[in-house]
Amino acid sequence: MNSKESCRSELRIAIRQLSDRCLYTASKWAAEQLTGIEQDPANFTPSNTRFQWGSSSIRRRFRTNEITSTPIAGVSYVSTPVMEEDDAVDGDFYLLAKSYFDCREYRRAAHVLRDQTGKKSVFLRCYALYLAGEKRKEEEVIELEGPLGKSDSVNRELVSLERELSTLRKNGSIGPFGLYLYGLVLKEKGSENVARTVLVESVNSYPWNWNAWSELQSLCTTIDTLNSLNLNNHWMKDFFLASAYQEIRMHSESLAKYEYLQGTFGYSNYIQAQIAKAQYSLREFQQVETIFEELLRNDPYRVEDMDMYSNVLYANECSSALSYLAHRVFMTDKYRPESCCIIGNYYSLKGQHEKSVMYFRRALKLNKNYLSAWTLMGHEYIEMKNTPAAVDAYRRAIDINPCDYRAWYGLGQAYEMMGMPFYALHYFRKSVFLQPNDSRLWISMAHCYETDQLRMLEEAIKCYRRAANCNDREAIALHQLAKLQYELGRPEEAAFYYKKDLERMEAEEREGPNMVEALLYLATYYKTQKRFEEAEVYCTRLLDFTGPEKETAKSLLRGMRTTQSGFSSMNVEHFSP
Amino acid sequence: MAGIVKPPGEFSITPHKVSVCILLQIYAPSVQISLPFPFASVAQHNRLGLFLLALTKSCDDILEPKLDELISQLREVFGVLNPRFVDHLTTRLSALSSPDDLFNFFTEMRGILGGPESCALEDEQVILDPASNLGMFLRRCILAFNLLAFEGVCHLLTNIGVYCKEALSSCASYETTCFEDSSSNLEAFPEYENMDLENFVFKKVTEEIEARKRASERVSFHLHAPKALFDLVEDIEAPADPKSKHSDKVGETSPYVHPPNYALKEFEPNSGIFLRTNWQIQGYLQEQADALEKNGSSFSLNAFELILRQLHKLAPELHRVHFLRYLNSLCHDDYFAALENLHRYFDYSAGTEGIDFVPPASGSNSFGRYEIALLFLGMMHFQFGHPKQALEVLTEAVRVSQQLSNDTCLAYTLAAICNLLSEIGVSNTAGILGSSFSPLTSIGISLSVQQQLFVLLRGSLKRAESLKLKRLVASNHLAMAKFDLTHVQRPLVSFGPKASMKLRTCPTNVCKELRLSSHLISEFGFESSTMTTDGAFSTAWLKNLQKPLGSAILSQENGSGSNENAFQFCVQPSSIPGSVLQLIGSSYLLRATAWELYGSAPLARINALVYATCFTDASSSSDAALAYVKLIQHLAVFRGYKEAFAALKIAEEKFLSVSKSRILILKLQLLHERALHRGHLKLAQQVCDELGVLASSVTGVDMELKTEASLRHARTLLAANQYSEAAAVAHSLFCMCYKFNLQVENATVLLLLAEVHKRSGNAVLGLPYALASLSFCQSFNLDLLKASATLTLAELWLSLGSNHAKRALSLIQGALPMILGHGGLELRARAYIAEAKCYLSDPSFSGVSLLVLLMGWRLRSWILKTHCF
Repeated sequence: MNSKESCRSELRIAIRQLSDRCLYTASKWAAEQLTGIEQDPANFTPSNTRFQWGSSSIRRRFRTNEITSTPIAGVSYVSTPVMEEDDAVDGDFYLLAKSYFDCREYRRAAHVLRDQTGKKSVFLRCYALYLAGEKRKEEEVIELEGPLGKSDSVNRELVSLERELSTLRKNGSIGPFGLYLYGLVLKEKGSENVARTVLVESVNSYPWNWNAWSELQSLCTTIDTLNSLNLNNHWMKDFFLASAYQEIRMHSESLAKYEYLQGTFGYSNYIQAQIAKAQYSLREFQQVETIFEELLRNDPYRVEDMDMYSNVLYANECSSALSYLAHRVFMTDKYRPESCCIIGNYYSLKGQHEKSVMYFRRALKLNKNYLSAWTLMGHEYIEMKNTPAAVDAYRRAIDINPCDYRAWYGLGQAYEMMGMPFYALHYFRKSVFLQPNDSRLWISMAHCYETDQLRMLEEAIKCYRRAANCNDREAIALHQLAKLQYELGRPEEAAFYYKKDLERMEAEEREGPNMVEALLYLATYYKTQKRFEEAEVYCTRLLDFTGPEKETAKSLLRGMRTTQSGFSSMNVEHFSP
Repeated sequence: MAGIVKPPGEFSITPHKVSVCILLQIYAPSVQISLPFPFASVAQHNRLGLFLLALTKSCDDILEPKLDELISQLREVFGVLNPRFVDHLTTRLSALSSPDDLFNFFTEMRGILGGPESCALEDEQVILDPASNLGMFLRRCILAFNLLAFEGVCHLLTNIGVYCKEALSSCASYETTCFEDSSSNLEAFPEYENMDLENFVFKKVTEEIEARKRASERVSFHLHAPKALFDLVEDIEAPADPKSKHSDKVGETSPYVHPPNYALKEFEPNSGIFLRTNWQIQGYLQEQADALEKNGSSFSLNAFELILRQLHKLAPELHRVHFLRYLNSLCHDDYFAALENLHRYFDYSAGTEGIDFVPPASGSNSFGRYEIALLFLGMMHFQFGHPKQALEVLTEAVRVSQQLSNDTCLAYTLAAICNLLSEIGVSNTAGILGSSFSPLTSIGISLSVQQQLFVLLRGSLKRAESLKLKRLVASNHLAMAKFDLTHVQRPLVSFGPKASMKLRTCPTNVCKELRLSSHLISEFGFESSTMTTDGAFSTAWLKNLQKPLGSAILSQENGSGSNENAFQFCVQPSSIPGSVLQLIGSSYLLRATAWELYGSAPLARINALVYATCFTDASSSSDAALAYVKLIQHLAVFRGYKEAFAALKIAEEKFLSVSKSRILILKLQLLHERALHRGHLKLAQQVCDELGVLASSVTGVDMELKTEASLRHARTLLAANQYSEAAAVAHSLFCMCYKFNLQVENATVLLLLAEVHKRSGNAVLGLPYALASLSFCQSFNLDLLKASATLTLAELWLSLGSNHAKRALSLIQGALPMILGHGGLELRARAYIAEAKCYLSDPSFSGVSLLVLLMGWRLRSWILKTHCF
């Protein structure tokens, strides 16, 4: 890996260049990474640590493998020369145009630059036109809301932009930023393959434009397309790969990449948040919570990704923390979809589902394609027993992203609630296909097979087995397996699973009716198997519990003693000479 | 949004509707504007009215026509006689240049509507009745305009601008495309650059389509989208020099058949693409669904899918599109797509969408109608040959619809289960029914499958009758008749011809059952959905504008009255829905089968003929193929193989892609028969083996075909004089038939056994078989088979010695009327030969030689008939 210093200087230049071209998101991202680079202790000054972590407790706690933070041997990065500006001093028109642009008067900006031929001016003009078209499009979406939900308004600048940019590309006078814009236009137009190649060209010649990377990432939906990209080995590629892995559900690979990047960008909030996202997908809620607490301490006005934090808080049922978070984001920015989603989560936790639905709806008004809001709204409708509405909401989530296993699962649940287990199976199958390591999905599916209407017990057993294999937290699977095996008249298997279940309960120090049931079964089983010693052990353990089982255990013991004594006496008789 | 079923979309004003309004103004000019009355005659005036009516109703497409299409249609309607309309239309449209113009235009439009008290009628004044179809249309337009916000008016204005510009510059745009420098990258091409290419490909594709007898009118326009085009081109093996072909074609295409210009571009910012009104689209979809059902696989998968995708993009809330996509993928055997789309449709619509949906009266049913989803899923599994899953799903459907007390759905589900049980055949069901929890358990598991089916059928019929579901009643009657036909309800305890038994297999009974179903045609005259028929009518009218070029030229000579001709030319579509026609048609097929079994060849033939002539349009192609098969079989038996094979060739061409298997089976059967007759035993055996392979396909074993295959196998062995092998095969076949209760086949097999023993010279052994076969035939009313069994019996007697000749003769003479009336050529010949032998062996008979000579002459004529291949 390049030294931190070189990364830093590259980023510093890039930030200036990006904000000069009004690519604000990219420059924001770059600046965040710049301050995220760990300071050398040599030039450590108090002013530099302002944005850094107050205490790096998280890193101490979670950084288990220190090896990853050191550079991997053998990886050599290409060093892309920093782009030289074609004109060191911006023209007057450019300055005017940029000011207009900053005031969001895009068409005016484009008009000012109409006769400029410099690469930078051409890019800004095209970009301004593109944004103007986008703005108009947004307005038209609302204006043109047709009778059948028609929303085919398009950016009307795309055709002329495409024509211009393609000729520029043929001339070879397009430049990396122009390529980025061209890729954007092509993607919007739907020609994804060309868009991909153009974007790859762009990031290879100018890797610091995060916008280009994220456009490219949205075009890589499978591992194959990702692998087919011909990318230079710049350190920005690692950021890209990490986020792309996350998107195609290769969470542990993504996590590894981010941990590796943390070696350089140790204080990056962005990386922290992404790690939290990966951990969330791996269902490590405790870690996620800690990370987010730290994040909020360093960056208290952050709204991005906070909806995930609220999900974690919801899952842990921390209603006060959730309300605190909701209040905070509400004061920061009320009209962000994330804020509405957090408030919706809060009301849901409080059991006020109507209000919760209202806030999810608001979130969806702000962003129609906000995936998790659709799913969460579906959950709320399920709680409200409004299954058709839930089905509709889930279905919309699926249409946005067909890989959302939660929505498939929700659909399955909805149909099961309506008493259509066979129909629901289709959806459960989809969800376990997408997330095969989640025991809850397998258990739900098994439950579906087990219903009175279907009674497909063999299939249910298969599902429970899968669930037991993938770390079933609630420990339902083993118990159910034992019960089903008993029902199907296979006492040995039943005993095996009861024993396993018992071991687990012992390990986790849990007691309850399941424990009693397991003990009782095992006691009777071993008694019928004439293995009295084991049976006695279980019986005596049963004696610690109160209730009718205690009496049963007692009588079992008594019965065993008599048979045993008779047996042994007989034995004695038999073997005595 | 979620959970709320949207009302059918409102009416939105588009440039096309504005042009229709302008035409309306010509049709009914208001008093203030003193347009000179532009019509040469009253007929022409009426014609414009009809044209406008058709425009507002036709449902041939999802998109509204563009201005140039409208203009060319106008030209067709009025010929060159009246260019004034077109001029007026274009000038009015291009005069609309500011929002205020639009505003004034619609205020003006209000003037041509008659008030509620339209008493002050002047002579020349035409006033639009506000309650008439056109008046309603106008009122809706005005209302829609008044509801528009200022932004909406601005959009309308820009759209009108684009609408006019495209029409005027439609030719000019081609020239700008002189290829700059063609990059290798087709995808990056701006759309208009391939316009030329597209046009020729389009023509080629339509040609190809016509050649394959596809529904070209329906699928034509959307072939334009570039991607599918390239797919199609790859499919079709482009000719070596496409350019030359293109130039050839130009001369032939008539000026009227304008290539549809609206390329459905994925990306075209300035395009004026507008959906038709919701009703029109629904009508279109309905039509397409009917067409899909009818033509099945002859529909182009990709092309139709493309339209639907386009429609989905334009109207995301119109969920019926997903249903059509489901149907489309179902027809093309795409299991996964079908499953996906089915689930998607029902997730969105909750079974509560569609024009024919009647919201339940009580408020109780707020949960959607997912039981319908189950019903469809079950039928889908059935279609794809997953009977087990289908049964599971249908069982669930029964349960859910009972829970939600949706009786209609329950009745349909029961009917579907009946259908399932009767279709998958006896051999398969036993396992399924035994294993799963089914609605039948309440009846008792001890019943046999047929009995269960019968009980189900009865229950379903009763339910349908009480709910007054006419179609279901009809189809249940049909199923009942089919059941009667194939299953004998009386157990064969009393064996032998003690009393004449009245079984329900008797064709008159079947016909009675069938008649119960067909009286519903008359009831359907009233209730057919007006939307579809009206729309279809208008569509047909508009389409016919382009079609009868020849007749237009002819009628030109008649002068002004000519145009009515063109109007009468188009056939009025019948008002009976296709599904009803299909039901009635299949009742004829069943009748034919009944008579065939009974043994009356002429009646069977008549019924098949009726079906083939009257119902082929409405029927599914597999049914039509079945009718053809029956007719060809008849030909083979009565006219010999030559004609049968000629007919087969025609049928093969007609059912090129569809239901190939049935035609294939027929071909194999004919080949086998012919090979047997000609003594080509190797070939016969080969054909027979092929039949056997067909019998057990992937989807399951077809019992009928299997029995037939082994029957033919036995016959081949017999022809090869391998008597013991033939007898063994026939024996095992008999065992199988007995096991599965295939009674008709039993009779045939017994007869075959008798034949084997006769041929092997073991007449005494043959006698009991012949007698058993005879009694089987008698108890099942299989008259023709009985006659041939009698003949075999006579032959057996005859071979026992000449002292039995008299008995044999009397037997033959008893059977002769039946044989001569209904039997095929071969059977008749055999009867003659046997009769002649009787006479010959009877020493007491005089004048033998004359009779034998006479017989010989008859025989020769028969041999000539059958063997001059």
